[in-house]
Amino acid sequence: MKIAIIPAYNEEKSLGSVVRSLLNHVDRVVVVDDGSKDKTAKVAFEEGAVVLRHKINRGQGAALQTGHEYARLHKVDYVLHFDGDGQFDAIDIVPAFEKIQSEQADILFGSRFLGKESNIPFIKKNLIFPIARVFNRWMTGIKLSDIHNGFRILNKRAFTEINIKQDRMAHATEIINQTRLNNLKFVEFPVKVMYREYGQGFSGGIKIISDLFTSKFVSK
Amino acid sequence: MIIIFQILFLIFTLFAIVLVVKRKKAGEIGKKGAFFWVLFWLTALVAVWWPNSTSILANYLGIGRGTDFVLYISLIVIFYLLFRLHVKIESIGRDITKVVRKEALDNTYENSTHS
Repeated sequence: MKIAIIPAYNEEKSLGSVVRSLLNHVDRVVVVDDGSKDKTAKVAFEEGAVVLRHKINRGQGAALQTGHEYARLHKVDYVLHFDGDGQFDAIDIVPAFEKIQSEQADILFGSRFLGKESNIPFIKKNLIFPIARVFNRWMTGIKLSDIHNGFRILNKRAFTEINIKQDRMAHATEIINQTRLNNLKFVEFPVKVMYREYGQGFSGGIKIISDLFTSKFVSK
Repeated sequence: MIIIFQILFLIFTLFAIVLVVKRKKAGEIGKKGAFFWVLFWLTALVAVWWPNSTSILANYLGIGRGTDFVLYISLIVIFYLLFRLHVKIESIGRDITKVVRKEALDNTYENSTHS
């Protein structure tokens, strides 16, 4: 079984169409409502998604890990990480699944920099991303063309071995790091990203670095 | 003047040490913690009652004045404690996440068509 995991926080406006578009491509859509204050859970449920509700907001990393634990409890072969704000295009899903299967990889990372057109804001593309790429490579030892892209596919081995402890946005770096530590085979795949909002700016990046640093001292 | 301050500080220190012992007995702090705080207050007391003692240490480390030495040490201790607090908060946050996650997985909302 293939499932999509959508971490969602106050996404009632965009989530409905995202769930609908995904149901054609995966067997089950799992929405992790991360303590939303709006009708995110209701919208997801009405559109036919399985809904897991965090009673309080714990962050995107925490929501993804909850999705992984759901997958471990069910007969899931592949999980797809997908954003609920409509920034990804469902058209990329089928070829991405074909790619990870044909390459016999454990994990697939979506990339905005492998040919497909994305409308990335100028400063992000030319300043923040290059710095972040170098940082990620230095932190994880893996060279990727993109950083912090929320489009991923993990097979059973990957979602079992990767344990996301970073509750907030640093999980993206953590996933790459655990890919290397667990010797998982990875591939990159071009995906299209439609920017609706700016997303994380420079301060977000600083927060990620701070989170990664702090976690070195947190036991468990 | 300085004598009044010294006497007040002595009373305060005794009070603080009694509090530490009480908390140790109640099991709120461990052996290491109790030792650290008792040592901390005794050191402070020595510095207040014999101000020259800090100058001796300061000179030994190449710092001009005893009060400067105390200031630097205080800053280091405060930053260290802040950092420890920060890590502790992160650790508590992760525990909260585990509880929230368990609750979410125990109460899944799904249509009866799923198994």
